[in-house]
Amino acid sequence: MADALSEASDLSGGEESQEEDVLTPAELIARLEEAWLNEKFSPELLENKSELVECVMEQLTHMEENLQRVRKGDLKASVHRMEIDRIRFVLSSYLRSRLQKIEKFFPHVLEKEKSRADGDPSFLSPEEFAFAKEYLANTEVYLKAVALKHMPPNLQSVDMLKAVPEPCLDSFVFLRVKERQENILVEPETDEQREYVVDLEEGSQHLMRYRTIAPLVASGAVQLI
Amino acid sequence: MFCEKAVELVRELHRMSDGQLPAFNEDGIRQVLEEMKALYEQNQSDVNEAKTEGKTELIPTIKFRHCSLLRNQRCTAAYLYDRLLRIRALRWEYGSVLPTTIRFHMCAEELEWFNQYKKSLATYMRSLGGEEGLDITQDMKPPKSLYIEVRCLKDHGEFEIDDGTVILLKKNSQHFLPRWKCEQLIRQGVLEHVIS
Amino acid sequence: MDTQSYMPVPPGVGMEENFFSLDDILLSHERLPCRTDTAFPKLGFLEKAGETHDIPEGTKMEMPMWLAKGLYERKRHVISVELPKVYREGWRTVFGADANVVDLHKMGPYYYGLGSQMLHFENAENPEIAQSILQTFISRFRRTMDSSQNAYNEDTSVLVERLDCLERALFRSGQNGLNAFQLWERGRASQLTASSLVTNYRKRKITELQS
Repeated sequence: MADALSEASDLSGGEESQEEDVLTPAELIARLEEAWLNEKFSPELLENKSELVECVMEQLTHMEENLQRVRKGDLKASVHRMEIDRIRFVLSSYLRSRLQKIEKFFPHVLEKEKSRADGDPSFLSPEEFAFAKEYLANTEVYLKAVALKHMPPNLQSVDMLKAVPEPCLDSFVFLRVKERQENILVEPETDEQREYVVDLEEGSQHLMRYRTIAPLVASGAVQLI
Repeated sequence: MFCEKAVELVRELHRMSDGQLPAFNEDGIRQVLEEMKALYEQNQSDVNEAKTEGKTELIPTIKFRHCSLLRNQRCTAAYLYDRLLRIRALRWEYGSVLPTTIRFHMCAEELEWFNQYKKSLATYMRSLGGEEGLDITQDMKPPKSLYIEVRCLKDHGEFEIDDGTVILLKKNSQHFLPRWKCEQLIRQGVLEHVIS
Repeated sequence: MDTQSYMPVPPGVGMEENFFSLDDILLSHERLPCRTDTAFPKLGFLEKAGETHDIPEGTKMEMPMWLAKGLYERKRHVISVELPKVYREGWRTVFGADANVVDLHKMGPYYYGLGSQMLHFENAENPEIAQSILQTFISRFRRTMDSSQNAYNEDTSVLVERLDCLERALFRSGQNGLNAFQLWERGRASQLTASSLVTNYRKRKITELQS
C-alpha cells in the first residue's frame, strides 16, 4: 500500500505538499491503521485523532484529483483507485467504531467530557461532541414523549448515566508491545492468586485485561491487535 | 402478580433477537401505564392513611407497590430503548429512506427520533474533510477489487455509474460494476454480489 | 462487528444488572421461593389462594427476583428468600461430581445469572454457592467451546439444548467466529451481502402473504 501511495503523492508534484507536516503519506497511513486497530479493539472510546483524520481526508482528495489527470485505461489509474478505496475503508471503519462507541456509551462519554480539566485533551472531536449531545437529547425527548411523561410524577425521568452501561474495562484484549515496559502490575484473577508484575518485551504479544494496559494504549507503547 | 404486562413487552422484543422491529405495541404500553396509575393512586392514599392514622403496617404494602412501579418503568424504558437500537440499525442497513412496511411499525415519536438521528448523522458525516464529507455508512467491508460481478434480483430501473454511463438494472440481468456504487443496493437486496 | 448493526444492551457482569438489558429483565423475572416476615395488607389477591384481604406474615409464596430484591432488607425482616434447589448442597454435590451431565437449560435457564444474583441475599452458604457456580462454569466451558468450534454447517440444536443462557451466548459467539473464519478461508469474507434485516423482513412478508 505504501508504495502506491508515495507514488500517488509524487504525481501531485512537490510544491503542493504541506510544509509543517513531517509525515510521509506512508507514515500517515501507518498512523491511521494503528489508530483504527486500537479503536476497534479497545472497549472504551480513545482520544480523538481529528488532525490525523483531516490529513488522511486531504490525502484522499489529493489522490482523487491526481487520478483525474491520469489517462483513462492506464493501469496505474486502477491501482491508485484501489488504493483510495482501501484507505477510505480504513478511515470509514475507524470513524464508524468511534461513532458506535459514542452511541453505546453516550451518557458516560458526555460526562467524561464535562469533567475534563481545561488543559486536558478532549476525547471527542467537536463534531463528535455535537453528535453525542444531539443523541442524548433526542433519546431523552423520545422516552419522555412516548411514556415517561404519562407516568406518576416521581417516575418521569430515567437517569441515563445509570441506565446505559459503561464500557467494560475488564475485558481482555490482545496486544503487541512497541516499547519495552517494566513492572506492569497484574491484578490477581482468583482469591488464591496474588498480584504480580511482568515485563513486556518489545515485539512480544499478550492477552491481558484492558484496564491493566489502558495507559499504554493511550501513550502508544502498545498496539491492540 | 403486578408487571406481567410490562415484561410481556420485553419478551416480545427478546423473541426477535435478530434485530427486526415488530409493530409498536401501543396497547401494551397503555396497559402498563394504566397499571402504574392505579398502583400510584393506591399508594398515595395508603401513604396518607399511614401518616394521618399512624398505620405503619401499611408500609410494606406501599413498598411492594413502589417496587412494582419501578419495575414497570424499567421494562417500559428498556422496551423503548431497545426499539431505538433497532431503528438505528435500520438507518445503517437500509439507508435514510425506510420502506413503508417498516415505517408502519413505528409510532410517531419513533419516526421523529429516526429523522433526528438521520440529521445528526448527516451533519456529522458532512463535517468530515472536503466539501462533500465522507459517507461512513458505505465501505462496510474491506475492498478486494474495484469492480464486482452483480446479478439483479429485481427491476430497479436506470442507474448511473461513475463515468456517466447509464445502465438498466433489469431483473436477472448481470453486470460488472464499480464496487462502491453497488454496496447499498446489495445491502437492500436489489443486487446480489456474484463470486465465481 | 461492522456488519451487524443491531447491538442490544448486553447483560450485566457478575452481580450487576444492566437497567436496559432485555436479558437481565427476563433473568430478574425468575421466581424465587420466599417467605413473608411481615404482613402485606390489602395485597391478599396476589397470593395463590387469594381469599384473604392481606398477605399474612409467614406466608410461603414465590416472588419474582426483582421484587424479592426490592423488598429484601438485611436489617429489617420483610421477607426471607430461600435458596432454589439447584444452589443447595445436594445439587452442589452433583455439580461437583460431574457438571457436564447436568441439563442446565432445564435447571435454569439462568443458572449462572440467577446464582450470582442470589449472592445479594444474606446466606451462610454464599461462599460455597459462588465457588460452585464458578467451578461448574469452568468444568463445562471446555466442552461448550469445543462443540462451538467443531460444529460447522450442521444443526446445532442438540448441542445447545442443555446449555444455560450464558453458555448459549458463548456458543453463538464461537460459532460466529468459526463461520467468519470459514468464509475468509474460502475467500468470501469480502463478498457483499444483503443485510440480514432486509432478508428477514422479506421472509416475513412472504409468510404473511401465505397465511
